[in-house]
Amino acid sequence: MIELDAVSAAFALLSSDLSAWLYLLPGLVIGLVFGAMPGISITMAMAFALPATLYMDFLPAIIFLTAIYTGAGFGGSVPAVLMNIPGTSSAVATTFDGYPMARAGRHNEALGVALASSVLGCLGSYLMLFLLIGPVSGLVLKLGPLEMFAVAIWGMLLLGSLAGTYLARGLLAGAFGVLLGTVGFNSAGFIRGTMGIPWLLDGVPQIPAMMGLLAASQLIGLVNTTYLITDESARKISFGKTLSGIRLTFRFPWVIMRGSIIGVLIGAIPGVGSSISNLLSYSETRRNSDDPDSFGKGNPAGVIAAEAANSSSEGGAMGTMLALGIPGGGATAILLAAFAMHNIVGGPSFIANNKDIVYALIFSNFAQAVLLLFVGLGFVYVASYIVRVPLHYLIPSVLVVSNFGAYAIEGSAAGPITLWVFAILGWAMLRYGYPVAAAVVGLLLGGLLESNLLRTYQISGGDYVDYAVQRPGALIIFALMLGSIALQAVSKRRRASKLSAGKPE
Amino acid sequence: MSSKPRRKVVWGHLVLLSVIVVTVIAYLLDARGVSTLPTNLLLIQPLSIFALILAAFILPGVFPRKDAAKEPVAGETRLELMRCLALIAALGLLAFTLERIGFDVATFLFMVATMAICGERRWWVNIGFSALFTILLIYGYGTITPFPFPLTVL
Repeated sequence: MIELDAVSAAFALLSSDLSAWLYLLPGLVIGLVFGAMPGISITMAMAFALPATLYMDFLPAIIFLTAIYTGAGFGGSVPAVLMNIPGTSSAVATTFDGYPMARAGRHNEALGVALASSVLGCLGSYLMLFLLIGPVSGLVLKLGPLEMFAVAIWGMLLLGSLAGTYLARGLLAGAFGVLLGTVGFNSAGFIRGTMGIPWLLDGVPQIPAMMGLLAASQLIGLVNTTYLITDESARKISFGKTLSGIRLTFRFPWVIMRGSIIGVLIGAIPGVGSSISNLLSYSETRRNSDDPDSFGKGNPAGVIAAEAANSSSEGGAMGTMLALGIPGGGATAILLAAFAMHNIVGGPSFIANNKDIVYALIFSNFAQAVLLLFVGLGFVYVASYIVRVPLHYLIPSVLVVSNFGAYAIEGSAAGPITLWVFAILGWAMLRYGYPVAAAVVGLLLGGLLESNLLRTYQISGGDYVDYAVQRPGALIIFALMLGSIALQAVSKRRRASKLSAGKPE
Repeated sequence: MSSKPRRKVVWGHLVLLSVIVVTVIAYLLDARGVSTLPTNLLLIQPLSIFALILAAFILPGVFPRKDAAKEPVAGETRLELMRCLALIAALGLLAFTLERIGFDVATFLFMVATMAICGERRWWVNIGFSALFTILLIYGYGTITPFPFPLTVL
């Protein structure tokens, strides 16, 4: 499984090339700053830095980009905790408990928890990658469209457990999101729902829509609030409390471990990645908790579950990218572009011929994760000051920056207009108890669901049952899905009976 | 016997549900107008029908009993609602005018308007912060992004 010769060659490579280490710190800082800025995604941060790597050697270039990846992964949790604005879809679940913690004046603790979980998740994922890169690459190669469809449906159904008070409203939000996610060209060449607007041919712009649903809608709802944290004494910045948040993380080893495993496995599946893993990990942690009702109200375990999973997804996505040459998302697509810039083709032949480089990348990511703890601690301390800013400064500023980001992503007014439309929709949904996260995930997965269902239909010739029988992997995923739903129902009933038993006469 | 109605109408919820239902129906009809082949409607048609059934289940919640559990927005004053709507209008104006009047002018006007909506009553603070923020944002963001933002003054 582990080739010791390649491992020692990797150590030699890293110790002989100092320039590989020189780019670690700038990469992390760039990633943290960009990740924490609303409207700038991990992909954008890496895309901005990509031209700079042209003049670097291959290994330092990739290490620099992965450092940005790691830094931005945690950076995204800073606005998620402080402003309920996930920098990327992978930080959606971080907002569920991170933001309520901030609203309760526990922002330092929440950031400390998020940092430690990110570091541990990242370390765990690269450790797993180190041990399992061979077997994982074989497994991912066997995933067909039916399996991909099953995984995406599983992710969608899990939102039922995150739907809050009204189950029907949660399901409608998810279904509406999926439908919006299928607007434009489908993979069979049909154009639907564009209303004659050219920029809708490629579908609803996802990032501006996500920014509108999750970020701008919340800011509109905050217009009548003076400060992010109403209690003035709770707005104090405390280095000690951030450290206590880090210590608190170690009291949840199983949450970290589960999150890391989910993150690696889901992150390894192309196209799904951290946007699902953080929700899946959050949902599983809530389901297994003794006090599931405390989730969504500021339970640190929710932040740990989400952050451990989204940071460990990086290791999974890197595994797929290195082993198969398939990018799991935008960030790994940029890494593959960096490979190409250096005339290197990722995939099975790369991993077979350059195991020393693969192990060197894994080791440098161990170093990145450890360094992130210290750099992130300083960054958190600075970033926490944002809660001291009165909201009449923060709301207009963040809305404008989000509009700039939406424009930069789309390169036209389509971005800001999409952001505006979805901000109204998100604001209205929040007012009447519709879970916005369900619509966001539906929107992200709509295209994936349709194209995989379509491929399954084409391959099976319409005979799904016969085809499914030949795909034991898909059947296992469906069985796991049904099992997890059944477990959820049982735990809900158990909780309800506990509650009724505990009620005073 | 009481003359009070036993049910009320949550108008905002009714508007939201109507928007969702109308969008789903319009999308389904548009998709069916393009083609009725399974490769077009495989996901859209069953999911649209599912969404409409769900909407029918939710509809009674739009007309709750007077003594039913209150919606999350209960207790909001008319002024607070007007502030939200004013912010939405300002955001819409920003989105539609960014390219026409330039990012610098649109950003400055949006900042001044929304700071006032959010409660900043000191006009010199409002204008000073808006101007400073606009300049910093235009030059800062312009440095890190390769996209040419249309400008009028700066």
